[in-house]
Amino acid sequence: MKRKKLWAVTCAAAMLASMTAGLSVNVYADDNTKDFAGEELSILVSTGWMDNRYDETLERFEDTYDVTVDLQTIPADQYSDLLQSKLATDSCADVFWIQSNPFAIESTIVDPEKYCIDFTGAEWESLMPETRKASCTYNDKLYGLQVWNNSPEYVMVYNKTLFEENGWEVPTTYAELKDLCAEIADTGITPWFMPGADGWQHQLAFFQIGGVYEEATPGLYDALNTNQATFADNEKMLEVLNEFKELSDAGYFGEDWIGTDSTNMSNEYGDRTCAMAMANSSFIKQIKEDTGTEDEFGMFLIPLGDNTWYPTSPAGPTMFGYKGTEHEDLVREFFNFVTTTESLQEILDNSPAYTNLDVTDENLEQHWLPEEEEFLATVDKDKMNVSVLQNGTKYTNDYWMQFGQDMIAFCQGEMEANDVLANMDTNRAEAAKTVGDANWE
Amino acid sequence: MNKKKIYPWWFVIVPLALYVIFFLLPSAMGVGYSFTDWNSRSVLNGTHFVGLQNFKEIFTSNKGYLSGIGNTLKFTIISNIVKLIPALMIAIMLQEGLRGKGLYRTLLYLPSILPFVIIGLIFKSILNYNTGLLNTILDALHLGILKQKWLSDLGVVWKSIYGVDAWRGIGYVMTIFLAGLNTIPKSYYEAAQIDGANFWQRLRYVTLPMLTGSIMINLVFGITYGLKVFDIVYVLTNGGPGHATEVLTTYAFQLYSRGQYGMSSALNTILLIITAVIGVLIVKTMSKQEVQQ
Repeated sequence: MKRKKLWAVTCAAAMLASMTAGLSVNVYADDNTKDFAGEELSILVSTGWMDNRYDETLERFEDTYDVTVDLQTIPADQYSDLLQSKLATDSCADVFWIQSNPFAIESTIVDPEKYCIDFTGAEWESLMPETRKASCTYNDKLYGLQVWNNSPEYVMVYNKTLFEENGWEVPTTYAELKDLCAEIADTGITPWFMPGADGWQHQLAFFQIGGVYEEATPGLYDALNTNQATFADNEKMLEVLNEFKELSDAGYFGEDWIGTDSTNMSNEYGDRTCAMAMANSSFIKQIKEDTGTEDEFGMFLIPLGDNTWYPTSPAGPTMFGYKGTEHEDLVREFFNFVTTTESLQEILDNSPAYTNLDVTDENLEQHWLPEEEEFLATVDKDKMNVSVLQNGTKYTNDYWMQFGQDMIAFCQGEMEANDVLANMDTNRAEAAKTVGDANWE
Repeated sequence: MNKKKIYPWWFVIVPLALYVIFFLLPSAMGVGYSFTDWNSRSVLNGTHFVGLQNFKEIFTSNKGYLSGIGNTLKFTIISNIVKLIPALMIAIMLQEGLRGKGLYRTLLYLPSILPFVIIGLIFKSILNYNTGLLNTILDALHLGILKQKWLSDLGVVWKSIYGVDAWRGIGYVMTIFLAGLNTIPKSYYEAAQIDGANFWQRLRYVTLPMLTGSIMINLVFGITYGLKVFDIVYVLTNGGPGHATEVLTTYAFQLYSRGQYGMSSALNTILLIITAVIGVLIVKTMSKQEVQQ
């Protein structure tokens, strides 16, 4: 009898144990984090594209999946070269970023089939507005994820309080800008802070006003994309380059703008050592947080070439999964993870430079600035439909850094303005030839 | 007898194979690719022989490749002068029985073990016009007149590069000179002193002739280093301002990064030819001097 009891208890215990084990196995099976424990996800990114805004999300990702993230942040002026080398030598990080636009995947990544994970059908596909999807897809396949803000990008951000105190008016033409710069310079303040040493900022003055070139030569973008027109000898472009040099020669960009980077830019605003600079609207928030200044800031359009066009841009830093990775599932999980409402809110909240994210997530709480709303109200809606030059024309953005170097050489008297433009034509032709663009054959 | 002849070959085979596989073969392939249009799209479109087209492009286009070659040669010559002469002077001073010379040797040698990237980033910060340490010190010493745009003024930027390069390299060059100085018998100097030779005469007639070997070694290292220079320029100026400090290797790197591998290989082939020609000249000169000695 005793033996039967013992046998029954043993069987019951065994059943219970197996059920518990089974249950635990089932629970584990439902947990999609189980397979990744101990893995490492490497991310290759340029300075300014992730910054601290992703830190919290990355930490949570590491904790959730029991993995480590190796974040490789490369200085902006070296990133493009490094990425190309890494792709060419099949040694890229699991996740990499590019400054994408509707033509960039073809020209920058060159062979997305070979280098990029195909995310077509991913849950987060619908998160991106159609305008941004163009920068993430190639041959109808989704390769990239672009989570970027929709604020006015690289317009003139100026110290409104300083302007009001000195009775300075916002300029709407180049002549007004030049006169204003002279007045500001007389007070010992740098009129237009230009961080030339970054290598990628100063050329924005030329490219962000794409609408003005299209307006001067209707159909220019199409003609440039079909090799029917050139940058060289374009009168409006020459005019803008010469205006830029004139301001440089007059010292309105600061004493050593070519050797100055943007590290100290918010302090320059906060300390009132500069009056204006090209920046994103959301930079206002950063100035206030970095410096605690009580000054108010506003925005106006870059007035070079008497511009009145808004810098519309579907481009932005975009994240891709490297096809050669040994952790493809983890990469896919990372993309899913980053696009949850919780992560997006973290990214937005942790970024002093963002006031909004251009995503279709109704649960996301945006933080639009009154200055942004005020500025957008001043812009003619009909002048918001031309993309900035670098993203509206093929192969242009690929030579961003070279064009910047040429602009500096021009400002230092080492090159002629038309040679700067002609170099862009030569470079674009080379890129077109490389990809076998029929328009350049 | 035959076995004895073959036996040493067994020792040579492995290093020779490694040398052929990892050095000679890639070098030969690089030279081969410089005659092709190999680029980032070749995986789809194939690679085609284009003859001397890449070289023609380098020597005839207005993209600054020629100035890159010129800058490379200029850097090779000046950086060697800037390092060799001070390094020789310092080595002689340290050899002369200066107090604490061990410490000086160590301090002078230390920079040469630092990676170029670290040195570049540190000096980029030190040389910043507005916030850099150098200009701040000059201001503090009321020497504001000496302030320079160290990395953005066309007339100064190369001097900054030479300066940083010398700061890093002098210790290494000095060490080779010190090794050479140690091999000169003291009796030579004693004999010269008895003959009434002053410091400069001892330097001219004893030290320098006896240091020929060390000078040659430093020259060979210095010239090959100068021709291949990349890191210090890339980190400090990235070829700028504008294109003022572009050298052959920064252009080759840019081309490679843009997927123009054939063109990049052509630039490297030119570098290989220049290095080979100069190398042969140096070796011939050295051989002649050895024969004379």
